[in-house]
Amino acid sequence: MASPDIELMAHLMRRAGFGATYEELERHAAKGYDATVDELLSPKDQPDLEMDLLERYFVDWKEMNALEVNQAYLTYRMINTERPLQEKMTLFWHGIFCVGNSKCEHGGQIQTQLNMFRELGMGSFPKLLLALSVDPAMVFYLDNCMSHKDAINENFGRELLELFAMGVGMDGHANYTEEDVKECARAFTGWTIANAIPRYPYGRHPSQFAFNAADHDYGEKTFQGETGNFNGDDIIEIIVKQPSAARFIARHLYNFFVADEPQVPAWQGTPPRDIDAIKELEDAYFESNYDITAMLRVLFKSQWFKDARFEKVKSPAETVAGTMRLVQDFTSPKPGLHPIAMEIRYMGQDLMNPPTVEGWHTGQEWIDSGTLVERINFTADQIGNVALPGVKAIIDRLSSEGVNQPDALIARCLDMLGAYSLPEETRNYLVEHIGRSGELKPGTEAYGAQVAQTLQLIVATQEYQFA
Amino acid sequence: MATQALGVSLQYSHSIGRGEFSGPGFRNPVALARGADDIMYVVNRSYEYRPDGKRVTICTVDEDYIGEFARGVSTAGVTDIVTEDGSLIWPTSVALDQDGNVYVADEWLNRISIFTSDGEWIGKFGTEGSGDGEFNRPSGMVFDADDNLLLVDSQNNRIQKLTKEGKFISAFGSKGSGDGEFNLPWGIDVDVDGNIYVADWRNDRIQKFSKDGEFLMKLGTPGEGEGELNRPTGVAVDRTGMIYVADWGNERMQMFDPAGKFVYLTTGNGDISKWGKDKLDANAEMWKEREIAQGIERERDFWGPVAVTVDDQDRVFVVESCRNRIQVFRRQEPMFFGGRL
Repeated sequence: MASPDIELMAHLMRRAGFGATYEELERHAAKGYDATVDELLSPKDQPDLEMDLLERYFVDWKEMNALEVNQAYLTYRMINTERPLQEKMTLFWHGIFCVGNSKCEHGGQIQTQLNMFRELGMGSFPKLLLALSVDPAMVFYLDNCMSHKDAINENFGRELLELFAMGVGMDGHANYTEEDVKECARAFTGWTIANAIPRYPYGRHPSQFAFNAADHDYGEKTFQGETGNFNGDDIIEIIVKQPSAARFIARHLYNFFVADEPQVPAWQGTPPRDIDAIKELEDAYFESNYDITAMLRVLFKSQWFKDARFEKVKSPAETVAGTMRLVQDFTSPKPGLHPIAMEIRYMGQDLMNPPTVEGWHTGQEWIDSGTLVERINFTADQIGNVALPGVKAIIDRLSSEGVNQPDALIARCLDMLGAYSLPEETRNYLVEHIGRSGELKPGTEAYGAQVAQTLQLIVATQEYQFA
Repeated sequence: MATQALGVSLQYSHSIGRGEFSGPGFRNPVALARGADDIMYVVNRSYEYRPDGKRVTICTVDEDYIGEFARGVSTAGVTDIVTEDGSLIWPTSVALDQDGNVYVADEWLNRISIFTSDGEWIGKFGTEGSGDGEFNRPSGMVFDADDNLLLVDSQNNRIQKLTKEGKFISAFGSKGSGDGEFNLPWGIDVDVDGNIYVADWRNDRIQKFSKDGEFLMKLGTPGEGEGELNRPTGVAVDRTGMIYVADWGNERMQMFDPAGKFVYLTTGNGDISKWGKDKLDANAEMWKEREIAQGIERERDFWGPVAVTVDDQDRVFVVESCRNRIQVFRRQEPMFFGGRL
């Protein structure tokens, strides 16, 4: 059985990353939990992907033109990044600050936005909000380019408050008024994008943010009780100092990293699952002058995080990237990545193309009869492929350990997949099933097939769908 | 933008191409070979998920479309890829033998496919490995004056000389950064004397060898200044020994004299091609969008200048993988008329 240290490390790597092989867990555990958290929180100390090599073989990644090209790239990053928390935070912000390919000048623009999340997503929250407000994909997606000083479009102003930074309400009260929405939108008038070069004949070029002073409303505004000739950056400064902003980010981080919460629209009237944990995160937010890494440090080092095992349903991105990391496939460029990336879509998460600006509903809403079959089939296909290096490594390890009893085989396979555990009834069923498959003779070809089948049975359980 | 250091320069001529998955146009073009009668063969790598765009386009320097051949195959379920003769997965380069047959390298299949000048498949060779005549990810190719094929065996970090049937003749090079060593080399060309020039990609330099593989010269160091290189992908040498380098990582093309001294660089001058004009005429609203577009001068710039070729009329062709375009330049030299000064 895996040691408590390994179990805890498996939990951390599933949440702060996309899972890890057993050997990686052992290496991290030897380093220690706090040291591993610190390493995760300093992504730039780890090497980034070698983009020159990737663009040589995946020629289309240099331009990043189409949605599917970008999805393949993002999938490859999740599988191979040595900065897993940075990539996880990119996914976190992507699920909140939603833009979608369905309303985008070209796919590469969303990749540009995700690069911005990679760069700023673990730093200052106001800096991130400011970068978001000048991000061309966002300006276009939420129509801020259509918001004029004499005819405001409230779309961006409203979502900045409702879905990006404050939330509709907390503790039973509203966080802002309709007047705040209008004043916010007024402050962002003139924040637009330059007229684009059309896609024919050679393809799109990156869009460019432009501040059109002639179309900016320089008049007096009252926002959240403060009055002045506010511009967009003044509004952001006011937003980030509100208790609602701290609550909003704290609750999102808790939902994403700790345990599934109700969906965002319910937050005004539904108290947090663990108000004490939320308050610790809020304190970290204010004490650090709105620093996201400071909040993450509190989160990952807290007892409530360590105790929250298997409290979350894996997202499709976590399911696919986690599986591929485990089986160690696509660790270098090769054809065939597109179908892997599409699995995330088929499981209900069309990355860079969320259903609405509200993003994806998470938790148990990931699962329906169709997506469950999709995730079990995909995961079982991969984990049952004895030709893949990660699967082969598991077989070799169990072989060398001389695991030759069904109950021991189940136990070690659960460890190899990330220190999972099963209810007794399920476990007894699997033991019985493996027992019927014949004698377990480590080192034989039949043994490899038996290990692979055991892994397949485990990934098909309800318990494996949780992280 | 252009910087000139000596009397020799390049003058922009015209652009060829537009973005298409089939027919007149290209999709992520990565290589070009010039044939007889102004014909050119352009290798399209396409998006990974659009194998229908992988092909070799035949057209002329004046942008008359002739046809296309060698379709891509789906890589869904990579272990079950159907790699029938003449199909492509990761095409990298194209070279023409003295009979005008077209050789296309595929770095995933480790296969050289041979077609007639009209695109009819007539043969193949290639075995993955590191032994004589085997290769691991072939990239650039060129035929020498004896009609033997010089092939960049990129992941084996060597150049192999093969007969046109693929039989091993000789090889040189190994992994490293010293003289005569390579780090994932890419493009290749030969000059009129048979000397060999290799784009030593990850060493950020071009190396020159005798026809027997003896190291003669290198040019370029890592950087973005004049004469410095960032992951050069392609190299070409004209009749006078001038050297043209696709400086891929710096999004520009540089010209060096035969001694390896920097002469000139360009970041591109692209304008609307003939096919491009046809496309815009068929989508007339885009002419109007172009009129109000801001920063449209960016359209002139190279984006992904991955290959360079020069023909015997001193026309220099730069293939841009991200713009579905080939920019054509002409070499210019000062010509003085009149009496003695």
